[in-house]
Amino acid sequence: MSKISRRDLLQYIGAGGIGVVGGVLYGESVQQNVELLIPQVVPPEDYSPGVATWYNTVCNQCPAGCGISVRIREGKAKKIEGNPVHPVSQGRTCARGQAGLNALYNPDRIRTPLQNVGQRGSGNFEEISWDEALTTVGSRIGRLKIDNEASRVRLLCGRVRGHLDELFLQFMNLLGSDHYQQYDFTYPSALMAANKMSFGTDVLPYYDIRNAVFLLSFGADYLGTWISPVHHSLAYGHLRQGREGRRGKTIQIEPRMSLSGAAADEWIAARPGTEGLLALGIAHALVSEGHYHGSDRDEWSKALQAYSPSLVSAETDVSEDKILQLAREFGTSTASLAIAGGATAAGTNAVASIVAVNALNYLAGNLSQPGGIIFNPDPAFSATAGSRQAGFQGMLDLIGAMKAGDVDVLLVHDTNPVFALPDNVGFRQAMQNVPLIIALSSFRDETTEMADLILPTSTYLESWGDDVPDPGVGFPVASISQPVVATLYDTLPVGDIVLSLARQIGGELPIHMRWGTMEEFIKERWREEYDQRGSEGEEQEFEAFWQAALEAGVWGQPGAVAGDQPVPLSSSMIASIADPVSKFAGDESDYPFVLHPYLTATFLDGRGANLPWLQEMPDPMTSVVYGSWVELNPVTADELGIREGDVLDVESPAGSVRVPALIFPAIRPGVVAIPVGQGHAAYGRYARDRGVNPIHIVATLIDDQSGDLAWAATRVKLRATGERLQIIKTDGVTRTLGRQILGPENDHA
Amino acid sequence: MFDHGQPSYAEVNKDVLSVMLETGPKYWMLLGTTMSVAGICFFMPWIYQLFVGVGAAGMNRNAVWGSYLSNFIFWIGLSHSGTLLSAVLHITNSPWRKAIYRSAEAMTLFSLMTAAMFVMVHLGRVWFVHWSFPIPNQMGLWPNFRSPLMFDVMAITTYLTASSIFIYMGSVPDFAAVRDASTGLRRRLYTIFSFGWRGTAREWHTLGWAYTFFAIFVIPLAVSVHSIVSWDFALSIVPGLHHTIFAPYFVCGAIFSGTAGIVTVMYCLRKFLNFERYIGQVHLDSLGKLLITLSLIWSYINILELFSSWYGGTSFELEALQFKLTGFYAPLYWEMILFCAFVPLLILFKKIRWSWNKMLVISILINVGMLTERFIIVATSQPRKFLPDAFGFYFPSWIELSITVGAFAIFATLFLIFIKWVPAISIYEVKETLKPLRRDA
Amino acid sequence: MSTFVEKLRQYRKPGYYDKFDYHWTMTIDLDRCTGCEACMVACQAENNLPIVGEKRFAENREIKWIRIERYWEGEYPDVKMRFIPMLCQHCDDAPCETACPVFATYHNQDGLNTQIYNRCIGTRTCAVYCPYEVRYFNWFTYTWDEPLEQQLNPDVTVREKGVMEKCTFCIQRIRIAKDNAKDDDRRRVRDGEVVPACVQSCPTEALVFGNSNDPEAKVSKMMKNPRGYKVLEELNTTPSIVYLTKVHS
Repeated sequence: MSKISRRDLLQYIGAGGIGVVGGVLYGESVQQNVELLIPQVVPPEDYSPGVATWYNTVCNQCPAGCGISVRIREGKAKKIEGNPVHPVSQGRTCARGQAGLNALYNPDRIRTPLQNVGQRGSGNFEEISWDEALTTVGSRIGRLKIDNEASRVRLLCGRVRGHLDELFLQFMNLLGSDHYQQYDFTYPSALMAANKMSFGTDVLPYYDIRNAVFLLSFGADYLGTWISPVHHSLAYGHLRQGREGRRGKTIQIEPRMSLSGAAADEWIAARPGTEGLLALGIAHALVSEGHYHGSDRDEWSKALQAYSPSLVSAETDVSEDKILQLAREFGTSTASLAIAGGATAAGTNAVASIVAVNALNYLAGNLSQPGGIIFNPDPAFSATAGSRQAGFQGMLDLIGAMKAGDVDVLLVHDTNPVFALPDNVGFRQAMQNVPLIIALSSFRDETTEMADLILPTSTYLESWGDDVPDPGVGFPVASISQPVVATLYDTLPVGDIVLSLARQIGGELPIHMRWGTMEEFIKERWREEYDQRGSEGEEQEFEAFWQAALEAGVWGQPGAVAGDQPVPLSSSMIASIADPVSKFAGDESDYPFVLHPYLTATFLDGRGANLPWLQEMPDPMTSVVYGSWVELNPVTADELGIREGDVLDVESPAGSVRVPALIFPAIRPGVVAIPVGQGHAAYGRYARDRGVNPIHIVATLIDDQSGDLAWAATRVKLRATGERLQIIKTDGVTRTLGRQILGPENDHA
Repeated sequence: MFDHGQPSYAEVNKDVLSVMLETGPKYWMLLGTTMSVAGICFFMPWIYQLFVGVGAAGMNRNAVWGSYLSNFIFWIGLSHSGTLLSAVLHITNSPWRKAIYRSAEAMTLFSLMTAAMFVMVHLGRVWFVHWSFPIPNQMGLWPNFRSPLMFDVMAITTYLTASSIFIYMGSVPDFAAVRDASTGLRRRLYTIFSFGWRGTAREWHTLGWAYTFFAIFVIPLAVSVHSIVSWDFALSIVPGLHHTIFAPYFVCGAIFSGTAGIVTVMYCLRKFLNFERYIGQVHLDSLGKLLITLSLIWSYINILELFSSWYGGTSFELEALQFKLTGFYAPLYWEMILFCAFVPLLILFKKIRWSWNKMLVISILINVGMLTERFIIVATSQPRKFLPDAFGFYFPSWIELSITVGAFAIFATLFLIFIKWVPAISIYEVKETLKPLRRDA
Repeated sequence: MSTFVEKLRQYRKPGYYDKFDYHWTMTIDLDRCTGCEACMVACQAENNLPIVGEKRFAENREIKWIRIERYWEGEYPDVKMRFIPMLCQHCDDAPCETACPVFATYHNQDGLNTQIYNRCIGTRTCAVYCPYEVRYFNWFTYTWDEPLEQQLNPDVTVREKGVMEKCTFCIQRIRIAKDNAKDDDRRRVRDGEVVPACVQSCPTEALVFGNSNDPEAKVSKMMKNPRGYKVLEELNTTPSIVYLTKVHS
């Protein structure tokens, strides 16, 4: 190597040194932000990083009122589980309950009060402050009150129970308006009306599936959507394999196999609308075959004489042998239970059908017995919530009032009638006549989009409240709903909004409704209840009781004497039996198929469609995601030359929808089924512009006795449009192909 | 051996070396084209896939392996050409291999490299591919030697190494020829490449011995490599893949497709490098006979496979069989049978066997059929495993088709570079076939 | 020679363990399962499963560690629908474990078939080899629309593209339970302390989970049920999940 001169050496050292210094400086300048595990120097009070806390509250994803436990890490909600001590959920959840976290952290939540600046329904909203919003609303309502026209204020909400319901009622009463109504598509109004007629009870009874040995379900999807699916699933599990050596049997009678139908030992597809008749046929057989030993046998015989199995068989398309077999099993089982729901409770003969099913229970002698119908005591509080259910007639009244200009201010909370009512009742159009519509909601669903002012509500995971589960569990029970996370956005719990409005409106409202927040209100009411019930020998202080109740999330008195169980008179039961004749909208020759819309385990009545986990959850029976479909029997599809994926025009006398066809083996040939839940025009990125809403094309026939919407009484015709749409399913081939997958001996291929 | 009369020693040198020493614009255009196609069709989609994820391809939950792996196997199959020709035929002293074995060995090497590219494209996290090698690491972890993919890694690296040494070693005297015929930089380079070869008797003896040793060494390697690659499939329990016949099936198929590849390359060499004199009827005839033999063996093994699936009678195998023969990809399956079992039968006819054009067509069809065969194996077995509810469907995406095309461009690029750096015909071996000249000629 | 044979035999055992410390097993009672899919959403919540979106579902690229398989039997009107939850069976002779070239999946001392996300290089051989098709590949790096990512479970890695994932029997919950047991006087994990998300949410109590090395555990008793069988048992994968057939009445 040649010698390096001193100059070269110095040059090299200089260059090297500059390079090193430059590199170090560069490195320093691009240093990443130091990542701290604890983002604050002073750790927050309400959590320790790395340690999970659990808060018990109440799920609001369906009206059952299951208690849930929410796991919180670093102030964020991570996981929802069932509350182990809650008598309804007993530590379990359903898929919808799990997806509650999607509601809390939904990207499309309304984060601030909004004011409509465009045409009504255009979705053109601008942010305003709470002060502005409350002032506008308060002054408007206040003026109406001063002018004694507060009856022009109407409050419409979803299924609200507990003290929030009382708060709403008090608010409206103090205003001087008796127009406080609730509308929930899933409310079992026919069942309530029928129970009133059969048993004289105003409260939804407890159907003790758990201890039943023979369960006969007329259309009630008790495992998926009917009333309290988690509790029924628990009961079902016990019915099957919870008793040593004693496996319960379930039968499902419905034109399209639901989840409960799939779980049943037998699925019977009676002619649509004739389930009530079938029940009477079974009742007849019960009496005539000697399975009923009551003293009023003869009266029953006479009442049921028109419903002999042979006659009923012809009408219902269920064989006489089957009817007699069902009667025999129902009558001889040690604990038989008959329930009704679904399409059976949604025809023009809904009440009559359910009354017939109630008669079965009477004849089985299961009233107030384990495994039968246990009548619930009056709820711990809010005894008359059920009477606020508007039902279809109530909604028609509201629409009439709006059209007539009798409504000045409409407050809407947690209900979506623009989605959940048939198109041709014109709810959306009637809303145009209301000068001020205020939506108290967390999401911009179709009804909220029609509002002039949106006062955003906190979700149930951010709000105080309480609830009495409906149906009760046979003994007094009350749940507490508490916030599990700090409010995410500039929203208020709906109770707090009402209290703020009360203060804005002034007058005697804030005097009577003196609580600052919902928490205060709830706690005070619970204190009153606690004092009322007396200490019962316990020396507990209310504070200790309250803490215990908050920790548990629920209070109950298992084993408490439920009070007198109503003992229905056989005469009144017999008198309530009416001929369950069903009518359908549309002539059979023009509209050859009966439309069977059904509530889905994924979205219920559409309320879950904005939650991505639910959109991604394959439909339990068909495995379809992210879309709608119409189910056809394979034979029907063959006859019409329809393949899966062909887009069909499903037209009823009330409207039409376009939806791809799906071949479904377990549906009666003359029936087509469309799931309820999709078809939103708004409601966030996951829900909007996806699928179709069959409720919109339901004809407005009503139940003969209760006036409720008979949404299973529409006939439709099908027309192939020639288009095709991919139905996104996760299923491959749904036959076992002779492989031993379901057990060592697989008899069916 | 020589169709147009025997060349002299000097002519052999001149003909073969002129390819290397003289480069016209046509070559640069061709090289440019293949490199562009490789870049656009292979590397750009691959880079896109690296950013976006393997989901850019068409694989899904039901068929996680797709055309990348079937292409990989196809290229490994093509690589068996050189080994067979070079090594096997060297042991058996076939004279007609001498003109073509160098290019065949080059084909082997470049097919292996292309196949390795496909492994890279196939991986989900290719930046960690080094974890599959047993190199020292801070985690103190060995790779899993029970995995057939590990066998792959071992076998292919060994095969790649051995083939590189094999071809290099055999080219040393030819590098010396290049050195002697060139000047300047090239001369200096080839002096290094040829290790100072002087052509002494001792050197020839050592070369011959070493070459034969490697030939014997490389033959079991070749058989094992493709058997091991077949065990990627056969060691699974997937119906349609879990057959013991897979190793012989793949080895036979590999040699078959490799030999067909040789025919194609020979055609190109003759046409573009004017090697008609050196690669003649004898070569074509022999290759043709080899092809027909292999095709018959291949057909036999195919029938065995179908038979064993059917005979076993399990629902799984029958479903896989039925889907293969009559499902969505049935046209591809029958096309494969046509091209690989029936079209080669034409070679029985001398008229066809002695026509370069017709043999070119047949060899291309055979390779198309073999490529289809790999694809069929991957695409029809995976979506039809055991649980019917999990049955699915796989269709390649445009990225996969593009990368398939791009791979051929990569191979062509490598080969084009090869012919400029290594004599495409083994000069000294061809000279061995020449009858010695009379002293007075 | 005998030590060599010993070593060979040990080498061929799954995970090289002679016996398992805990042997986590699950029983699934098909007579209770109603196909309601609460387990699917619970698993999604617990294990940070991505929201893949409609397009990916259409391409058959969903990621659902536990899924419900549906099988129709018969024809209308005597048609039945049978549900069977399918999740990683944690086979003791897992075909997937031998397949992975980098040991990203192996059998641990608790009988679990574990997946090491940061070791996976994405060859996807394990998914080909799995007869139950319960392995899911991250074809892309999935993201959550803000603020849905606030819900992500901090105990579970969020996977990037190129990595294979599958049911882990909620190994994070097993880990926490073992840690708690260790803190609590070095005792063993008791039956019922470890509950995977799916088992916890199942409304019909169809899923039972526990340590089958403990003869008193509920799962050990459930396993002995004469209705018990294993799916695809003839493949000799020795799954750790015992299904109880639905009773036909």
